[in-house]
Amino acid sequence: MFMYKLLISFLITFFVFTKFVIADDLEDRVKELEAKIDQMENKGGGSAEGSSGSKKIYGNEFNPSIGIVLNGKYNNFSMKSAEPAVKGFAIGHEGERGREGLQLGESELNFSSNIDDKFYGSMTFAIVKESDTSDDKVEFEEGYIMTTPNFNLPDGMSLKAGKAFWTLGYMNEHHAHADDFANRPLPYRVYLNKSWNDTGAEISYTLPTDYYAEVGAGMFRGNDYPIKGPDGESAGAISAYARVGGDIDQDQNWRLGVYIVDGENSSGRKGNEDEIVFTGDTTLYVTDFRYSLAPTGNVREQELTLQAELFARNEDGTYNIDSGGENQFNGTSYGWYVQSVYKFNARWRGGLRYSQMETPGVPTALIGTDLDGEGYDPTSVAVMADWTNSEFSRIRWQFNQDKLASGSGSVDNQFTIQYIVSIGAHGAHKF
Amino acid sequence: MLKKLGALIIIQFIFSTSLYANDKLNIFACEPEWKSLAEEIGGDMVKAFSATHAKQDPHYIRARPSLISKIRRADLIFCSGAGLEVGWMPILVQKARSQVQPGNIGYFMASKYTPVIDIPNEIDRGHGDVHPEGNPHVHLDPHNILLVAKELNRRLSIIDSKNKSFYQEQYNNFVDKWQNSILRWNKEIESIKGKRIIIHHKSFDYLFNWLQLNEIASLEVKPGIPPTASHLKNILENTNKNSVDIIVVSPYDPTEGALWLSEKTQIPVVTLPYTIGGNEESNNLIALFDSSIKILQNALYDK
Repeated sequence: MFMYKLLISFLITFFVFTKFVIADDLEDRVKELEAKIDQMENKGGGSAEGSSGSKKIYGNEFNPSIGIVLNGKYNNFSMKSAEPAVKGFAIGHEGERGREGLQLGESELNFSSNIDDKFYGSMTFAIVKESDTSDDKVEFEEGYIMTTPNFNLPDGMSLKAGKAFWTLGYMNEHHAHADDFANRPLPYRVYLNKSWNDTGAEISYTLPTDYYAEVGAGMFRGNDYPIKGPDGESAGAISAYARVGGDIDQDQNWRLGVYIVDGENSSGRKGNEDEIVFTGDTTLYVTDFRYSLAPTGNVREQELTLQAELFARNEDGTYNIDSGGENQFNGTSYGWYVQSVYKFNARWRGGLRYSQMETPGVPTALIGTDLDGEGYDPTSVAVMADWTNSEFSRIRWQFNQDKLASGSGSVDNQFTIQYIVSIGAHGAHKF
Repeated sequence: MLKKLGALIIIQFIFSTSLYANDKLNIFACEPEWKSLAEEIGGDMVKAFSATHAKQDPHYIRARPSLISKIRRADLIFCSGAGLEVGWMPILVQKARSQVQPGNIGYFMASKYTPVIDIPNEIDRGHGDVHPEGNPHVHLDPHNILLVAKELNRRLSIIDSKNKSFYQEQYNNFVDKWQNSILRWNKEIESIKGKRIIIHHKSFDYLFNWLQLNEIASLEVKPGIPPTASHLKNILENTNKNSVDIIVVSPYDPTEGALWLSEKTQIPVVTLPYTIGGNEESNNLIALFDSSIKILQNALYDK
């Protein structure tokens, strides 16, 4: 762990350092370019004319792009009493099923722009209301800067710093409004408290290969699930990933990735309404796979996607339940989901998702507590249909059945109607 | 143990990197028409790739993994621009090299070098997926192809200056060939000027401007908003057999709406190739225009 941190700090220092060293080289290149421009200008009117078209500047273009996402929903749950805990796990507040009735979801506001030739910046905040008695709360979802290719890092490399939905699995990098279902699958709810957007820095490198291959690594404060509770001094978490992808033919493509996040917390990660606290070392391994097929070649009209992610979490530390004392714990649990979404035509899509958690064995001292899975594996099944009017508006219906604990009394049938719309800047869609 | 494995995987990746000994210029074209033009001017000196094919709607493409690996090595990005690729290009360009970033020599948007039509007076998404920059389907006016070819030649000569004379020669040959074709087409299209058509989307506006065809209605409710039953019924009520000659769709447009209207009105549906590969004959730019004109002539000769 220490060596690894050292390696990452070294890498980052190295790239920042090389930037200064290569400044000389850069000067040469600028001179070369200037010579070329002179050459071009000397060629006379015809050739210079063409380039003037790309220099048009409008006053407003300096304002950042602004995008707004509005979403609202109606939830109906068959289980009227409080939701049962996910058997065998202690989860954070955002991993819970949410509120019943009519409500606003996260309303998001995003600003993004190139800062100058070398940096790009983006900030997203969401306004949420967690209960009828609480005030509206501003959640800082993302606020990061990223180097552009003009930064003169080696080709294909970029550095991102701040707070962001970091590279981990398929869904984490995407904002919830881009999800195919109204809620996130169990492993995201249990391990990530919905999503991982810690504060930190990540370096990524796309290899110059024929197929798509990207590797990356990062270091983070450790103040978010899956770690949470940093000591505030050293980096609380580190990560690494590698992924590959390509086309099978012109209408089929795939992507496969492996990811790891590792961190140690000292002040504890709280779960299940702060009753259960974990302190120690957490390592989360994730692998994701996605396949998509356009049966007619045109994804606008028909598309089939298959997506699966497998999570494994190793915890080595202590669990403290209701301040009842520290219990040693060292175990590995698993969580996974698989989903498929089919687009019937430009307007209608349907989807199916199954997710499941597999609990670890617990030491004697924890038998009978919330952390004791008693051999039960919590599951969740979701069926959805959605209607898309344009790229900017969508209405979704979803039926979800959670069985988070054993027994027929723990079956929760959930029905959701949701709208998601976006206003303003037309953001590009990540794969 | 797992960390060692991770390190091994990373090392493996780095060494498997094909140290691609390719002297050819890598051209990342967004659409098949620009790949074809790049090959006309670049000849054997370039390796062109098209991110989309004729069956795909270039507005709606996924920034799929293979496109990242292609754009990562591109020496020139060659697209229509004017917002056509706004849903997927920006994310890809972030992964490309500095030479091909916006404003640099390797970032070439064709619509910046041609006249652009359909620039909306009012920019409001209530009017559909409007392009504030205007209609991006510029390649369907043959005069625009000449303007774009000229700029392409200029850029290739700068990026790959050692082959400057080669590009110039290729360009001269292409211009000769193209100008002769325009003269020929101008004669062929006399018979179809002034005909009335219904379109699916504004994909063919440049072609129809050049051919002086009249667009009576569009099957899409508004640009980017798919046809609805009520909108089609509305068109049906306002058209009769005599007021419209043909319904035109592209290979990637859904045909249900067009076929429904055709059945009710007996107005024939015509699929124009739109780009290279849009039909069997259209395997280069000249063939694309030849085929489009031939299809329209056949459909309109007795109208």
